Amino acid sequence: MKHISKKLFSVLTSIKLAVIVILALAVLSAIGTIYEARYDAEYAQKLIYQSPYMYGVMIVLSLTLIAVMVDRWPWKKRHAAFVLAHIGIIITLIGAVFTQKMGVDGSMAFRIGETKNRVTIKDRDLAVYGSFGDGEVRPLLQKQVEFVTHPPTEKDPYVLPFGSEKIEFVEYQHLAFREEKIIASDREADGPAVRFQLTNPNVNMTEWIRRESGKSSEVVNLGPASVVLSDGSYQPQEGVNEVILVPVPKTDEIRYMVYDKSNLLKTRGKVKESQEFDVGWMGLKLKVLRYHPKSYKQVTYQKAEGSSPLAHSALRFRFRGQEYWIGIGSLIRLYTEDSMYVLAYVFRQIDVGFPLILKDFQIGHYQGTKRAASYQSLVETPDGKEVVISMNEPLKYGGFTFYQSSFEQDEMGKPKVSVLSVNHDPGRWLKYFGSFLIVLGSILLFYFKKALARPRKT
Amino acid sequence: MKFNKPVGRVIFAVILGLISSVAHGDWLSELEHLPVQDAGRIKPFDTFAKEATQLVYGKRKFNNSSSAEVVFTWMVTPELWSSAPIVEVRHSGVKEALNLEKTQRYFSMNELMTNPKLPLIFGELQNRRERQEKLNPYFQAVQRIENQLGLLQVLARGEAPGFAPPAEGSTWLTLKHLPPELQEKFVILAKSFLAAIGDKGTAEGKAKLETELKDFKAAVTAHGQGIAPDILTKVSWEVHYNEFHPFLWSWVSYLLGLLFMVAYMVRGHAWQNNGGWVFIFIGFLLHTYGMALRIYLAGRPPVSNMYETVVWVPWGVVLFGFILERIQKSKLVLISAAAIATFCLILTDLAPAVLDPSLHPLEPVLRSTFWLTTHVLIITISYAAFFLAFALGDLLLFYFLKDEEKYAKQIHIGAQSIYRCLQIGVVLLAAGIILGGIWADYSWGRFWGWDPKETWALIALLGYLAVLHARLTGWVRSFGMAVTSVLGFSLVIMAWYGVNFVLGAGLHSYGFGAGGVEYVTGFVVLHILYVTYVTTVRYGRKKRA
Repeated sequence: MKHISKKLFSVLTSIKLAVIVILALAVLSAIGTIYEARYDAEYAQKLIYQSPYMYGVMIVLSLTLIAVMVDRWPWKKRHAAFVLAHIGIIITLIGAVFTQKMGVDGSMAFRIGETKNRVTIKDRDLAVYGSFGDGEVRPLLQKQVEFVTHPPTEKDPYVLPFGSEKIEFVEYQHLAFREEKIIASDREADGPAVRFQLTNPNVNMTEWIRRESGKSSEVVNLGPASVVLSDGSYQPQEGVNEVILVPVPKTDEIRYMVYDKSNLLKTRGKVKESQEFDVGWMGLKLKVLRYHPKSYKQVTYQKAEGSSPLAHSALRFRFRGQEYWIGIGSLIRLYTEDSMYVLAYVFRQIDVGFPLILKDFQIGHYQGTKRAASYQSLVETPDGKEVVISMNEPLKYGGFTFYQSSFEQDEMGKPKVSVLSVNHDPGRWLKYFGSFLIVLGSILLFYFKKALARPRKT
Repeated sequence: MKFNKPVGRVIFAVILGLISSVAHGDWLSELEHLPVQDAGRIKPFDTFAKEATQLVYGKRKFNNSSSAEVVFTWMVTPELWSSAPIVEVRHSGVKEALNLEKTQRYFSMNELMTNPKLPLIFGELQNRRERQEKLNPYFQAVQRIENQLGLLQVLARGEAPGFAPPAEGSTWLTLKHLPPELQEKFVILAKSFLAAIGDKGTAEGKAKLETELKDFKAAVTAHGQGIAPDILTKVSWEVHYNEFHPFLWSWVSYLLGLLFMVAYMVRGHAWQNNGGWVFIFIGFLLHTYGMALRIYLAGRPPVSNMYETVVWVPWGVVLFGFILERIQKSKLVLISAAAIATFCLILTDLAPAVLDPSLHPLEPVLRSTFWLTTHVLIITISYAAFFLAFALGDLLLFYFLKDEEKYAKQIHIGAQSIYRCLQIGVVLLAAGIILGGIWADYSWGRFWGWDPKETWALIALLGYLAVLHARLTGWVRSFGMAVTSVLGFSLVIMAWYGVNFVLGAGLHSYGFGAGGVEYVTGFVVLHILYVTYVTTVRYGRKKRA
């Protein structure tokens, strides 16, 4: 036994092992960056940087660092450089573990004037709510899921049981584009949908318009004119050219009425699928390409080939024999004969314990351009103080630090939403201290040239 | 150069004749010094014009004419240019998509605008943008055409650049929006310009143009909020920076110094050594002067894009070269340093499309200059140390190939120098990475986020750390030092260039670019082959012995 531990110790103190560990770290990191370029940071983190391999290499690294230092005991003055650098690395790694296990790294998006106390973090949850005919929606279950490392497949689905029902997840796409399709149905609860084409010599537009059965009308604004799909109760608006479509129940016909800007009825009549009529202005014709008296919107996801900010992760699942897609940050209603369930696939939110109010948000531009030169948020903290958060000027409050991270604009280029990144890092000072030792140690190397040369034991 | 249409050819020839027949007078200098506002900063018309010809024509000069002159005619007589082949299209895939002649490089604006396929590929580009996808080289080339045609149209309509400061706000007034009295002055100016550059242009005509340009500049300077004198000074310095081209003279001087040094290695005359020293030192002074100018003009340290780092790193290489030459008493170090400096600075001159020399305003997150300065400067200067080790490694491998025994002394000193370089590099890189972590923590609240740029810097550090540790075990001796310093530099190339130009991912996106991948890959592959060859030859010799 003593023999084995002695041998193990001598392996750990060998510089050859150190070289191998260093190279292994380098190779793993390099693979990680390829994953990140191909997919995104989260994907690379889950599959490489936080993988068992990486932890394994890190543990061997720490053991080697400790063993080498023990081996050199008692330390002499000339060992200072290498001892400091190695202790620095160990402390930095411990700091990183603290950050990983106990830290918070999330984001908070506000509209101007909004109050928030919840931070969105990277962890993902599946949640199910149920309503059983009494109008009340109750949470049934909430579960954290990790699909990057363990993606569900047809053969090995992830099953989420609740009550007598279950949902089977059969596919996970980390990056996918959302696509919508409108499909004819025969369910009483579904609303109508029309696919129409507006044409004249200069214009050729094709659009779907669909109305939920609960809504009285749906408007599609096409610039010079609006198309309305209504149940007949819609009142024409002044100042817009409008085409109002009203399906005639129990037939395949649609009534249409065209109003000009001063609310004059220009023309009216009935139209069926693949028929067209003159709208009466700009030589426009409206053709009904498809008409579904009952329809529903089917959401599917298409795998994205490269990374794109618009692509996000999505799940395909089965419920009572029917297939559905759900994207991250959305919810979907599922019906049975007597009850309704809501499935949500969301990033987890945690309460920071106090509210913040976004009072104002401003963007500074480079002269004569629309390029942002700076941006800043004015927030109010619970103690009533107003603080400016700008790039490189974070707010520290209640154990959290709030950084200006990004913003969203509306179509007119006016700022709409300010995004702060929120952070709580208990490992910070360990990492700083460790880093300081590493730098100090490596600078000292120049003074103690032979510090690392092991005194040969005779 | 091939012209596609006879009409275009004739007009083009006439215009070229017109322009080249002009003896450049002081009026040209006046035109070049005219301050304009473009892309978020105030610059001389000279710079604006150079950037415009760079974008449209692919060069910072237009044949033998000054860009300022040519771009001015783009503004005042756009109709003369519409059928001239001046729009550069290089991407063969794009040419194919547009049914353009493959062997041709320049096309006229009319030809492109009436191309029935153009709206289609612009539509595809728009789709990519809406999906916010990364643009591949094909779509980057399409985007360039969009920018080229856009710029020519905007110039013709008088919508760029800004010529006069406004009374309120920060957006300068373009020709279209100038007040009547300034517009009138400009029209007179344009007429004189056209008269002066023609065959009939007389000395009086040129003198008149010069006066009118001065007059226009004075009127513009006093308009609205006015232009501050220090901005005008900066504008003049920028014209000087453009004209003097310090980095060109710097590499010429480095090259001379290098030749002297090589001569000294072969012949060993003291005057050759002194000559080498003097020229390398002059090159270094010019290099320093050029960077000082750029820092003054940009108002920030020159490390915000690839061009600037390719200028800054060899500066560090030469600095380390001087220091190590003193310590190690080896000409090899200085020769390597001068070779790298010459190489890098020639590169910045040769490839303006990849290494964009324009001065751009910074992204918001980079505007905290202190942290930017420290972390980027330190990391890039560590690259300088590794670069020097790399060149020394190349040289040493050459000695190993020639005769290991005969050059034992050079090899020993060379390996010592490489070791020093790697030590300096490792300390600086470690410090730089940590400072980068501090900056990231300070700006984003994340000390380490596995961002590809920082990860590759770490990989390079780990690679060199492995070499230094392997040296302790005796795995790596003189030959190993030479080999690993050459191969290890591939990691630096990946961190420096590859992350931005090949991977193109992560938070450091403000430095992203395209182009040159085949050359850089070729450079790396050639060195790997070189190392393999020398290793094989050496192994064969050892076996025989």
